[in-house]
Amino acid sequence: MSETRDKQLRKPMNCAEFQEKLPELFESGVNVSHEEHLLGCENCSALVRDLEYIASQAKLLLPIHDPSPTVWNNIQTAIRNETDTKGSMSSGKRP
Amino acid sequence: MNLAAQTKSRNGLTGDANHGIFKAGGMLMSEGPTQSKPIQQMRRNPPIAGEAEAIAKAQSGDAHSFEILYSLHKRRVYSLCLRMLGNVAEAEDLTQEAFLQLYRKIGTFRGDSAFSTWLHRLAVNVVLMHLRKKGLPQVSLEETLEPSQEDGPRKDLGERDLVLSGSIDRVALERAVENLPPGYRLVFVLHDVEGYEHNEIATMLSCSIGNSKSQLHKARMKLRDLLRSGQRREESIA
Repeated sequence: MSETRDKQLRKPMNCAEFQEKLPELFESGVNVSHEEHLLGCENCSALVRDLEYIASQAKLLLPIHDPSPTVWNNIQTAIRNETDTKGSMSSGKRP
Repeated sequence: MNLAAQTKSRNGLTGDANHGIFKAGGMLMSEGPTQSKPIQQMRRNPPIAGEAEAIAKAQSGDAHSFEILYSLHKRRVYSLCLRMLGNVAEAEDLTQEAFLQLYRKIGTFRGDSAFSTWLHRLAVNVVLMHLRKKGLPQVSLEETLEPSQEDGPRKDLGERDLVLSGSIDRVALERAVENLPPGYRLVFVLHDVEGYEHNEIATMLSCSIGNSKSQLHKARMKLRDLLRSGQRREESIA
């Protein structure tokens, strides 16, 4: 089965066929840049490079946003309320 | 470059006995296969000085330690919420909810996985629950499933190559991600930014693995369009 699949993947494709197969190629783990179609197709080569670049840059998107101070104030208030409610029922241990 | 291998890199998500199952919107969500990925953990989850002590104390009810944990992780949780939701007010609400859940559940954390991984997963679950309560509009993938002209082969020969130009900066990519349709954005953020696998995303979003893969590809294609449009705008201004 994998042999048949390999043959299918390696069969020369036109742009439409290649781009239709692209998600599968990416997920299959093969090195897409070695695909035969890309040897003669700058358009699809650029597409592949772009998609690879986007995926690589996405991993570099670090957490950069900070919540406003209101968020912590609200959390504190909610915890206090929960603790008070619990405290009225039993001696809670949480802050 | 191998994109599949490249996107396997993730935030070191590992299983935790106490957090293996997530219930959201009445649906049980499995955490997926337990895998140890030490290299990726080092990348995204480096040991944080004082964290272990803060966790232990917070588990014993120390309020100051809980505040330390908030300070250590607020940025990551909030950034996740913001990227998944694309809305500041909602992101802040859900950051609050995630930390309240942390407060309630921290006693169940046993350290089987990195704390940040555990908390991160908890936050993802909070966001998904919220989206489900809203009637799934933002989780729905249907909106982006219809084949369209966008899915056809591109005929943009001659356009500048993003890789060669090296012009994508973080801000541009952040902005482009914000402008993705919600269904695309969710899958892209979970997979490419946060490092979840397709099987995990499929479980979280109640869709097929194939659907998750398809959405991811379309999301990247859409991002490419958005980034190219941004480039063209900048060039026309310059």
